[in-house]
This record gives sequence, C-alpha cells and structure tokens, in this order.
Amino acid sequence: MVPAQWYLLLAAAVFCIGVFGVLTRSNALMFLMSVELMLNAANINFVAFSLQWGNVTGQTFGLFTMAIAAAEVAIGIGIILVLYRNFRDTDVTSATTMRW
Amino acid sequence: MAAFDYAPVIVLLPFLSFLVAIGTAIFARGKNVLPKGGALPGIVAMAGALLLSIWMFVTVEAQGAYDQTLYTWASGPGEGTFTLTFGVLVDQLSAMMLVIVTLVSLLVHVFSLGYMNDEDETGLPRYYAGLGLFSASMLGFVVADNLLMAFMFFELVGLCSWLLIGFWFREPGPPSAAKKAFLVTRFGDYFFLIGVVAVFATFGTSQFSPIGGMEAFPVLAEEALTGSAEGINTFGFDAATWFNIVGLLVLGGVVGKSAQFPLHTWLPDAMEGPTPVSALIHAATMVAAGVFLVARMYGFYALIPTTLAIIAFIGGFTALFAATMGVVKREIKQVLAYSTISQYGYMMLALGGGGYVAATFHLMTHAFFKALLFLGAGSVIIAMHHNENMWDMGGLKERMPVTYYTFLSGSLALAGIFPFAGFWSKDEVLYETLVHGLGGSPLLLAAYAMGLLAVFFTGFYTFRMVLLTFHGEPRSETARNPHGVRWNVKGPLVVLGVLAATAGFANLVPVEKLTGANVDFLHDWLYHGPETLNGEHYSTLLHDVAGYTAADFSVLISAAVSLGMALAGVGLAWMLYNDPSPEEHTAKLGAVKDLWYHNYYQDEFQVWLAETGGLGIARGSDKFDQGVVDGVVNGVSSVSLFSGSRVKRVQTGVVSNYAALLTLGVVVLMVALGLYGGWFL
Repeated sequence: MVPAQWYLLLAAAVFCIGVFGVLTRSNALMFLMSVELMLNAANINFVAFSLQWGNVTGQTFGLFTMAIAAAEVAIGIGIILVLYRNFRDTDVTSATTMRW
Repeated sequence: MAAFDYAPVIVLLPFLSFLVAIGTAIFARGKNVLPKGGALPGIVAMAGALLLSIWMFVTVEAQGAYDQTLYTWASGPGEGTFTLTFGVLVDQLSAMMLVIVTLVSLLVHVFSLGYMNDEDETGLPRYYAGLGLFSASMLGFVVADNLLMAFMFFELVGLCSWLLIGFWFREPGPPSAAKKAFLVTRFGDYFFLIGVVAVFATFGTSQFSPIGGMEAFPVLAEEALTGSAEGINTFGFDAATWFNIVGLLVLGGVVGKSAQFPLHTWLPDAMEGPTPVSALIHAATMVAAGVFLVARMYGFYALIPTTLAIIAFIGGFTALFAATMGVVKREIKQVLAYSTISQYGYMMLALGGGGYVAATFHLMTHAFFKALLFLGAGSVIIAMHHNENMWDMGGLKERMPVTYYTFLSGSLALAGIFPFAGFWSKDEVLYETLVHGLGGSPLLLAAYAMGLLAVFFTGFYTFRMVLLTFHGEPRSETARNPHGVRWNVKGPLVVLGVLAATAGFANLVPVEKLTGANVDFLHDWLYHGPETLNGEHYSTLLHDVAGYTAADFSVLISAAVSLGMALAGVGLAWMLYNDPSPEEHTAKLGAVKDLWYHNYYQDEFQVWLAETGGLGIARGSDKFDQGVVDGVVNGVSSVSLFSGSRVKRVQTGVVSNYAALLTLGVVVLMVALGLYGGWFL
C-alpha cells in the first residue's frame, strides 16, 4: 500500500497549484478552476486519511465536498456571467468599482 | 380647613392673568383684543388674590397656620433619599406677606393704567403678562413650604425682573440694565443653589416646618446644636461651623436679591424699567424676597450667631453706604433706588441683630411707603413728560397736590418721623440691634452705629428730594405746565399714603412701654405662629443657642435718638434747599460728592474686577476647555480620521489583492502558530 504521506504530498502540490492560479491569474474562469483544484486537494486528503485509518468517514466528507464544489461552481459561474454582463470582460482586475 | 384649600389659588390667579395676557400677545398680535391692553385681567386677578389673602389672614388668626404638601414630584424609595415636593405654608408671616404683595401688586396694576395705558405705550399685553408672572412667582415664593420650592420661585422672580426691567428693549439702556440685574442676582443665587444642595445633603429635607412625616431642617439643626444630632451629615465639620457655612451660602442669594453690599449695583440700574415695575420690584416682590427668605428660615439663622453678626454688619454697612450715595443723586428715581438699598439694609440689620419682628415690621411698612414713593415719583414723571431730573422740577406742590401730600406722607415715613410708619419700624430695628449689641456683641454695636448714622442721611436725602421736586419755583417749562394725572394714578397714591401714615400703628412698642397698653399687635401676631415658626421660638433660640442677650435699655431713649438724627437730617435739608431757587449745595462736598455721585466707583471697580480677574479666569478656563478637553476629543478623532484615510487604501477593489492578503494572512498565521507550538525545533 502506498503510504499516506505520498497522498498528502500530492494534495499539498495540487493545493499549491490552486493557490498559485488564484494569485497569478486574472481571468475569472481560471479563478474558478483554481478553486476547484484546492477543493480537490482537500478531497484527496480526506480519502487518503480514510484509507489510512480504515473507515469511511473521510470518504463521506469527500462526497460532501463534491456537493459543495458543485454548488460553488454554480454560484461562481453565475458571478462570472454577471461580471461579464457588467464589464464586458471576465478579467477580475478590471472590476475595481467596489473600493475606497 | 376649607379656606386654606384656596391658598394655591392666590398664586394661580396672577398666573392665569399672565397666561391670558401672553396668549393674546402671541395669538392676537397687533389686534386690540383685550381692553386696556390686558390690564383688566391683571387687576381682576390681583383683586381676587387680595381678597383671598385677606381671607387667609383672617383664617390664620382664627384657626392657626396651615402647611400642606400639594404635589410630590420626586420621591426617594427609602433611607438616604430625598423627597422633593411642592407645598403651601400659610402661617402668620406668609399670610401677612401675601396681603402686602397682593395689595401692592393690585395698586401697581391700577397705577399702570395711568403710567402705561394713558401714555400710549406699545406692547402692553407683554407688560401685563410680566406683571402677572412677577406677582405669581413672588406669591409662590411666599407660600413655599420648603427651601427648594422657594429657590425655584426665587429664580422665577429674577427672570421676571429681567423681563420687566428690559421692557423698553429697543432703547440701549434697559436691556443692559436688565442683563445686569439678572447676572448680578444670579451670581448670588449661585451660592444659594449650593446652599440648597448643602441643606439637602446635611439634613435630607428642606421643609421649613415639620409635616406629614417629613422633618424640618431648622428643627434638625436645633437638635444637632443642642445635643441630639441624628442622621445629620456635617461633612466632617463641627456642626456649628458647618451650619454657618450653609447659612452663608444661602445668604449669597439674599445679598444678591435684596441688593446688599457688594451685590447692590444692579438695583440703581434697574430704574431703567417702567416706574410701576420699580415700585413692584422694590416694595413687594424681588428685593423683598431676599429679606423674606431670611425671615422664613429664621429658625435656622437664629442658631448661628456668627452668620447673624455678618448679616447685621452687612445690613448696617449697606444702610449707611447706600444712604450716602442717595444724597447727591439728581434723578428722583435714583434717590429712591438708593433709599431702597439702604432700607433693606435696615431689615438685614434687624434680622442679624435678633429683631425678627422688627425686620418683618420694617418689611411691611417699607413695602407701603416705598411703593407709595415710587408711584408718587411715577406720577411726577408723567407730569414732567418723563424727565426725571429733580433740578428741572420744583414748585410741583401747587400743581399736583394729591401727589405732593401722599408723597410727603411716604417721605416722612421713609425719613422715620413720628408718627409715620417708618418711625415705628426703623426705631424698632435700631432698638433691637442696640439692646442685643449692648448685651455683649461689639460687632452689632458697630452695625447699630452705622444704621443710626444712616438715619441722618436718610432724613437729608429724602427731604432734599421732596424740596427739590415740589417746593420752590419751577425750574423748567414742563414744571410750569405739568401734564395732569388721572384717578388711576391718584387712587393708589391715596391708599398707600394713608397706609404709610398709619401702618406703623400695627406695632407700637414704645407706646406699650410708656403706657402699658397692649398695642404691639404685630408682635403678638408673629408670636402665635406654628410651634417651630413663631417669634417666641426664635427669641428662645437666639437666647439659648446663639447666646444673644438683651441688655436693659429704654426704648424711649433709643427712639428719641433716632428721631433726633432723622430730624437733624430733615432740618439740614430744609435749611439748604427750602429756597425758591435752590443751588447745588452738594457741590460743596468736593471730592466726596464725586465719590458718592459715582457710587464709590463700585461699578467701575466691579467692571475692573471682571476685566482683570474674571476675564483672566474665563480666558484660562476657555484655554483649558478648548485646548485640553476639546484637544483630547479632537485629537482622538483626528487620529482615527488620519489612520482611516490611510488604512482604507488596502481596499483596492481588485479581488486578486484580497486573495493575496488572505493567503499571506494564513501563511503568517501558520508560521506564528508553528513558532509558538515549536514545530520547527
């Protein structure tokens, strides 16, 4: 069996890629995808620990996370649509009207 | 006690006339809705109040005094809390004062018909509203049964004096005089207010006499000084010392209102008001309030000889001080103003000298003859087309005989000539002070000496005024053809003229001593008050607690001496001024005349004091307020504003920046937790 720390390393790598994407990209769609990556990094952790301890609690929570991710995507897409409608663009750096 | 149920009505009637007059002044502006400009409601109200007051007087005689709490507007839940009430106390003293105030006020209302209405003054509803409120507040003050209520009405009286002195507010003088009267008396009232608080803090009550479970502070003070002090907080002082402090604080208000030195400066300026108002202020309402207050709480003052001596000394000094200034004045009302200050000095002298009855007696006779003199002066002023300079008068005797003879009656009373009212009361004032002074108080003797000397000056300035105004040859065109006055001026003058001649018969102490006949009616009247509020109780207190002893001295010698002084003054005036065309003999006094004419430079001195000391303190306080107090507040707000204006720039609106800050925050948090938890070791 592959030891749990490998999974954790994988999850950390995926999470970091997600964070990197959020910080560097300005396209809202890329944002959404990066957030998905981070959520799935968390999912990998759940499943890895589920395997480690031999119970299904982690897998259950993985399912929850997927549901939440689906909901988040639905809202995210909605936001992006509104963003596009208002600014004719999906570049998040151009939408700076909510500022001081 | 059905009669006493109507006691509050005495206060409410003039208040009602105030409401009617002010209502029409506001809602029917310019339209002459009320006949006589609002005088009639005032006259009707005062007549009603006078009748009720007489009824009260008679009922007090028959049934004794009445004290009733009418309204409790703040009650404490238990021990150590205060109950604040409005109550009515009609005893011998206040019943007498009610009659005086309502009578004088009624006559002033009638006189105003001649002085204001017939002279086509404008703003009459405002004037009569002021008179109504003035009478109502004074009557409320007179029947007050506790010190706090008395203080409230005392302040109302001050407000009304401001309204009425400044009645002709479009001219430059009256508003400034009104402001001065208000501020100077307020300076004294400030101490009075602290005194009221001190009375509450010390005794937990400010009732004048005990009723319905509430104790009275003079009684508690007496118990404290005679041994059985309970529940009295003297703030670490010796009880007698503390009572002196409280007594002097309350006295501050008295000195301000009754125009005693050094707060007398407002009163001569108050002559800027309409003359009937001067009569009301000086005879029955405002100035009398101060002396009445001391008489009202005499059960407290009689316990503290130090304060009594101070009262006597201030009184005696003021009597002499003001009388000298009256000698050189040119305006008839100015002479009367200084005589008022001087006469109230006598009342204070009597109160301080242990003569409670004498002071009350003088308060009564003075109310009549001073109201008379002011109304007489008002009549002269009408005749002279509002020229008040006595040097433009002369020879008015033949042209206005009613005014002359009534004015003469008032003047004889003021000068203290036998057998007019002032003789009896002033003599008793001096006699009481003298015997208590001889009984072992040199300070009282000094006060007596000043009071006695003032008798001479009083006689002199009074008859200088009479001779300059009415005798000799007319010295101006208006004096040759004076403006006539009608019944509404003459009527009040005649009533008061008779009273000024006869009011002294209420208390003929020298006659009683001489013949043994029981004719000291006022004495008996005031000695039959409620248990803790009568003259007998006060004289016991004076003797037992304050240590006043009366020396055995013949009242006749004292009376003869003061009468002699008065006659000397009158005689000197007669010698100098009974001349068809008198000259200004006071000019011979040289520098002294200047000193007196400028009121001992008291106004200048007080202005100097205000400008150097007062202004400096005010500037300092202003600096402290603006700099330190406001500085801290403004500093806090400007720091917040500045940091806010800088920190808000974090909110760029770019979502990536927020994400970066979020990430950074989490990383910093992780590192900090790691360091704290020792993960990296």
